[in-house]
Amino acid sequence: MKLVQLLLPFIIVTSIGASSISAFSVQAQHVSDPSLVAQGAKIFSENCGRCHNARPAEEYSKMEWSVVIPHMRAKAHMTGKEALAVEAFLGSTLTSDIRNTVSHEKSDAPKRTGAVLVAQFGCQGCHQIKGEGGTLGPALDDVISNKGEAFVLKKLANPKFNNAASAMPKYPINKEDMKAIVAFLKH
Amino acid sequence: MKKVLLQSAVTAAISMSLMTTVNAQDNSSLDIGRLAIAGYGDVTYISQPSMKDEEGNDVQNNVVARFVPIFLFQMSEKIHIEAEIEFSTNAEGETETELEYANMHYFFNNNTIITAGNFLLPFGQFGANLHPSWINKAVSNPGLYGGHGGNGSLGGITSILGDTGISIANIWDLGDVGRIFTNFYTVSGPRQEEGNHGGGVEMEAKKGDNNGSMAFGGRVAYAFLPEWEIGVSYYTGEYSDDGDLNYSAYNIDFNWIGSYASVRGEIFGSSAETEGETEPKVEGEHGEEWVKDFDKNGWYIQGTWQARQLGKAWLNPVEFVVRYSDIKSDFDGSIGHDFEEDAGKIGSRMYYGVNYWLEPSAVLKLGAESTSIDNEGAGHGGIVDDRVFLQLAFGF
Ligand code: HEC
Ligand code: HEC
Repeated sequence: MKLVQLLLPFIIVTSIGASSISAFSVQAQHVSDPSLVAQGAKIFSENCGRCHNARPAEEYSKMEWSVVIPHMRAKAHMTGKEALAVEAFLGSTLTSDIRNTVSHEKSDAPKRTGAVLVAQFGCQGCHQIKGEGGTLGPALDDVISNKGEAFVLKKLANPKFNNAASAMPKYPINKEDMKAIVAFLKH
Repeated sequence: MKKVLLQSAVTAAISMSLMTTVNAQDNSSLDIGRLAIAGYGDVTYISQPSMKDEEGNDVQNNVVARFVPIFLFQMSEKIHIEAEIEFSTNAEGETETELEYANMHYFFNNNTIITAGNFLLPFGQFGANLHPSWINKAVSNPGLYGGHGGNGSLGGITSILGDTGISIANIWDLGDVGRIFTNFYTVSGPRQEEGNHGGGVEMEAKKGDNNGSMAFGGRVAYAFLPEWEIGVSYYTGEYSDDGDLNYSAYNIDFNWIGSYASVRGEIFGSSAETEGETEPKVEGEHGEEWVKDFDKNGWYIQGTWQARQLGKAWLNPVEFVVRYSDIKSDFDGSIGHDFEEDAGKIGSRMYYGVNYWLEPSAVLKLGAESTSIDNEGAGHGGIVDDRVFLQLAFGF
């Protein structure tokens, strides 16, 4: 109990301090190293569903994740490097928007191919494609033929649409990117 | 001897982690925050119409609620602070407050973490990692975990939860063949229960050390991720006020986690030395002193299965849970006084549950459990010990 009493003033001061400095400074950040993201997705898929349901990225902001991950690094026995990779993966799927909607819908960013997007978003951290990848989610080889394009488009737009407990992140992607991913998954 | 082994293991862990060169600090890809508030809560309805207390009175159905905030601070890349406080209402409608843990992690290097303060002991899996209600797939705790959800006639083995001290955690990466996790700690240790029981062991951490002797423990686990983790834990400490009675416990946990199913189990045992005196042969004189072990042990196995495997959209959020717990306390009966409520019992408990997930960390659980006590004459013997639970649990 004494420790709590000691900590409480500290809690209050830091929370006020932290929120006044940074409440509006969260920025969409483009992660430069896709391989670190893919690695992070794999480490996430292997570790983050072991004790509890894996929590999708959009549940917390980037700043909150930066505080939660050290907590989970200790629980999950991850190395510092693994924790950084997980952070890169989480960061790659988050925008500054609380609902994680795309902020670059009309941007003239160069079109990305399905293969690039699948690699960049670390889908294979959690899914097997052609025998390669993680097992937190089901293999994706036959998903289009089994469930149809419309289903996959819906799943990408809102992974929770058919499963409220889905661990799959809601990616900040636009329609074109989704179609490119679907086209890629057809082969 | 055991202590010497543990101490040398700790020394080895420290010196080996000192040998690993400190890596140049890579940077996080996240915007760095300072504070996060997380935690969990639950509301539980327990219906036990046929349950009686020791005087034979009906036990009321009841509703209990908990709110357990967790405060996390990142002081720097190396130092992280966490504290968890539990606010709960009990069956009598009173509010209780308890510090679950408050500690500091020092991320010493890539694979070593030093923790100081009050922390959940890495002993087995359930106490350290699985007890929060949005994580625990069942409403109740496995039969041998008392307190915190232990109920009815299975009071449980004295559970090792949190305590104050220091711990060192290491990760040993074996590459393709898996990895080893080690945790070693020294904490203020168990205490002697107050009152005239003579031997009860109490694990309340907040009272501090009673006898100037620390307890030691550790867990060594082999993990082959994502599916397997098998751990062995050991704990030993003097609990009596004069420091001459020992309490020790071991735990073997295994965990298999598939993409939609899991099987977990723990084997757990504890042994508390107890002292007493035989009846004096001549009235007015002292009898002979003796020290005996009071052993409790048990195990549980729990399986879960997600119905999304069936390919029906409406079944996607449904999960089934089955758990079998077994407990045995074999006090040889030669001591003439009441020991603990659940002394000398052999029993088992089945739990069946259906969980409906509303979010990855919010769940509605419906569960039923049934207990059988096999030896006649034990407390609660012959009385039905069954209940039905409905719980809403959420992590935030
Ligand atoms: C060894 C078990 C274990 C593993 C592995 C694990 N967690 Fe947790 N997690 C917990 C426990 C236990 C809690 C509840 C908090 C507590 O009691 O300290 C929790 C809580 C959380 C929370 C809620 C916020 C908080 O900090 O309490 C988030 C988010 C989370 N975990 C994410 C993750 C992620 C991401 C990973 C993978 C890197 C992960 N967890 C791996 C055990 C684990
Ligand atoms: C963090 C892990 C994770 C990542 C990363 C991830 N997913 Fe998923 N995904 C899951 C899980 C778990 C499921 C199964 C549970 C559910 O129904 O949501 C799933 C389900 C799916 C499904 C439905 C499969 C079926 O048979 O019902 C599709 C399609 C899918 N994911 C596509 C993708 C694509 C494409 C990506 C990359 C852009 C991706 N996922 C990234 C975890 C992930």
